[in-house]
Amino acid sequence: MSGLRSFVARRLLLGVAQTIAVVLLVFALTEALPGDAAVALAGDQPDPARIAAIREAMDLDRPAYERLADWAFGLLHGDFGTSLTSGRPVTQYIVDGFGPTLLLATLTLALLVPLGFGLGVLAARHEGRLVDRLVSSVTLAVYAVPEFALGVLLVLVLALKLAWLPPTALGYGTDLLAHPAALVLPVLVLLSRPVCSLSRLVRAGMVDALASPYAAHARRYGVPGARVRYAHALPNALAPAVQQLARTVDWLLCGVIVVEALFVIPGLGTVLLNAVAERDVPVVQGLAVVFGVLAVVLNLGADLVAHRLTPRAGVAA
Amino acid sequence: MSEVTDPVAEIRDLRVEIDGHAIVDGVRLRVLPGKVTALVGASGSGKTTTGLALLDEYPPGARVTGEVRRTGDGPVGYVPQHPAAVLNPARRVSALLDDLARPQVRHLPRAERRKAARALVLRALSDAQLPDSEDLLRRYPHQLSGGQQQRVVLAQALLLGARVIVADEPTTGQDALTKSRVVAQLAAVAARGIAIVLLSHDLDVVRALADEVLVMRAGRVVESGPAKRLWTAPRHEWTRRLLDQQRAAVKDGRHPKAGQPVLEVRNLTAVHDRRTTALHAPRLALHPGECLAVVGRSGSGKTTLARCLAGLHRDHDGEILLDGTPLPRSLRHRSRAQLAAVQYVFQDARAAFDEHRPVLHQVARTAVRLRGIDEREATAEASTTLTGLGLPAELAHRLPGELSGGELQRAALARALLARPRVLICDEVTSGLDTVTRRGILDVLAGLVGEGEKELSLVLITHDLDTARLAHRIAVLDAGELVEQGPVRRVLTDPRHPFTVSLMETTERLEAGTRT
Repeated sequence: MSGLRSFVARRLLLGVAQTIAVVLLVFALTEALPGDAAVALAGDQPDPARIAAIREAMDLDRPAYERLADWAFGLLHGDFGTSLTSGRPVTQYIVDGFGPTLLLATLTLALLVPLGFGLGVLAARHEGRLVDRLVSSVTLAVYAVPEFALGVLLVLVLALKLAWLPPTALGYGTDLLAHPAALVLPVLVLLSRPVCSLSRLVRAGMVDALASPYAAHARRYGVPGARVRYAHALPNALAPAVQQLARTVDWLLCGVIVVEALFVIPGLGTVLLNAVAERDVPVVQGLAVVFGVLAVVLNLGADLVAHRLTPRAGVAA
Repeated sequence: MSEVTDPVAEIRDLRVEIDGHAIVDGVRLRVLPGKVTALVGASGSGKTTTGLALLDEYPPGARVTGEVRRTGDGPVGYVPQHPAAVLNPARRVSALLDDLARPQVRHLPRAERRKAARALVLRALSDAQLPDSEDLLRRYPHQLSGGQQQRVVLAQALLLGARVIVADEPTTGQDALTKSRVVAQLAAVAARGIAIVLLSHDLDVVRALADEVLVMRAGRVVESGPAKRLWTAPRHEWTRRLLDQQRAAVKDGRHPKAGQPVLEVRNLTAVHDRRTTALHAPRLALHPGECLAVVGRSGSGKTTLARCLAGLHRDHDGEILLDGTPLPRSLRHRSRAQLAAVQYVFQDARAAFDEHRPVLHQVARTAVRLRGIDEREATAEASTTLTGLGLPAELAHRLPGELSGGELQRAALARALLARPRVLICDEVTSGLDTVTRRGILDVLAGLVGEGEKELSLVLITHDLDTARLAHRIAVLDAGELVEQGPVRRVLTDPRHPFTVSLMETTERLEAGTRT
């Protein structure tokens, strides 16, 4: 177990380093963009004197490393800084945006796990037969459709033609739970591709596991079929699926920009998009930190679960 | 134990066919409670198929006729050759054991079930000689030793209440100490009144354990009887050969000698690069149905001799006679019949196959090329030969890359056999293989000598005296000189040439070293 603990410690340290690297990279890239917040704020009157004044007022004339150091120092105290464009604390942006994103992610995940694993096991059970071919070809076909295309298609058919569902969440603000109908289409679109990749991974693992000598041995000794499938075969099929699931959760929590933009959902993706457009560096950096930490924690979690599922492999550092 | 013993399981006239080829044919077997029934034979002789038939398991696509009867409702346990394979790598050892115990405690009140089930599991483990194994249950299979894994699998069968346990090669690849422990363990199980069906080619273990022995060859039982009788007075030639080989004792002087040699070497002097003499062999003869081992260190000229015989090395003087007629020196000048008569199997089987075509096609090709039969017939014959050598049809359809070294070597042997050769030259075909696979290949070779109406002869090129014991006669080469030749028993027990003596001593020292 001490081996596992040192693995976790090493991974967390590495994660911190990775997050710092992400933040530095994001800072450098935002600096490299033409224009800055002052230019963005000056808007329709790009008067150089006015821009210079705004720049001075916002401390943008100070060297980049000083601004970065200031920001990093604040971060150590849990202070994400304030937005350049609105002056509101960055934390506020993140908290506001996180609500809808978390809601979408939770709903998607709640449907994704049973659906993905269920379809995978179902296909593996009927390997090579009609059910399997049906599941496999449909998942492959759906996987091939990008989110935005599927989103546009669904909006066109279900919202505009049939008028069953609202086409966007426009006007509902961040309180989406009060309008469940607005959530159906985004969740469907978010669900579409992860279900396919997950079920295909589970299917592949299950086909191998069900054909394994240990599954045959359990069946030989009269262990009921469902128990062989779920208690004996499935744990061996899970490891790759869990890694994939972690990536999917990461993807969902970091705000799926395409979906949020399409359905006008004020989630993290939208916040990020706006911040970049306005050169609002503190907000972009704050989000980068959040995304970095999420990615590190989720992947570490997935590695730990995978380690539990493949005890023989040991922990890969 | 009562004197009246009804069999707990019985097989009558079992025939298992794959693609029209019988891998088990006409097998009868009575499994008595508390007795150990051993099935012995080379790999591919149908032992495992017969053993698994007791569990109602057959290879995919098999046609089964005959009767497998199990009296009583006791299930049949199975301890496979590699116990790790049937232990779930992602679950703790307790997983399957708990699943097996649970139905047995269903009659108890819910609150007591867990404890009762655990007690049953622990008792089964201690019956399988894993006492006090509470913490072993929490471990994963890979955290157990091979012996512990085997005992856990045995405990599963005991927990199940199996009346019959099929143990497949339980001692293969184990050292002597482990072997004796496995023997004790199985004897203890038999003493509890459970019937054991032992599938093994490890005759030491069979001798120590078995009450009844069935000797199998090519899917048939060639001899059966009480172990004691079989050992003291084997009736079938194949049994004798099997016992001989195991004892590492050597063949008696009853090797075929009469008549004209199938292959004869006269005054052979082979040179490399037109100058260096690599080999000098004044006279060497190979009789039909005879196995000749050519022994020597690397560089002693063994392979050169083999290559001269096969027409692969043309720089030599002297004569090589096939049935009294000289063979052209080069392969190119030999007729089809002459090519077919002398076949060569190389050390590196992987290098001897085209990696892009299925093994079966390549094996069949020999018959098409050298015997001029048509493709379909050749494929059928290839399939039969491969199965006979222990390579299932399913494997034969694969590419060489998907086969193990041992399997490929069998395929290489099959490919040579499809030429219906008179002489098969095997150049170190077992070096580079693990001991188990090696044993299997050697079993196959032992089965091949004297096969067919033409009585196949074997030239066994080897540096390994253990392999050489398979032969009727041994020729010893040292630094290109044929220093000694004679019947295997004489050469191994009373070597005359100093080099042979030193070779023997080294081998004995090595063997003594590994056994203690």
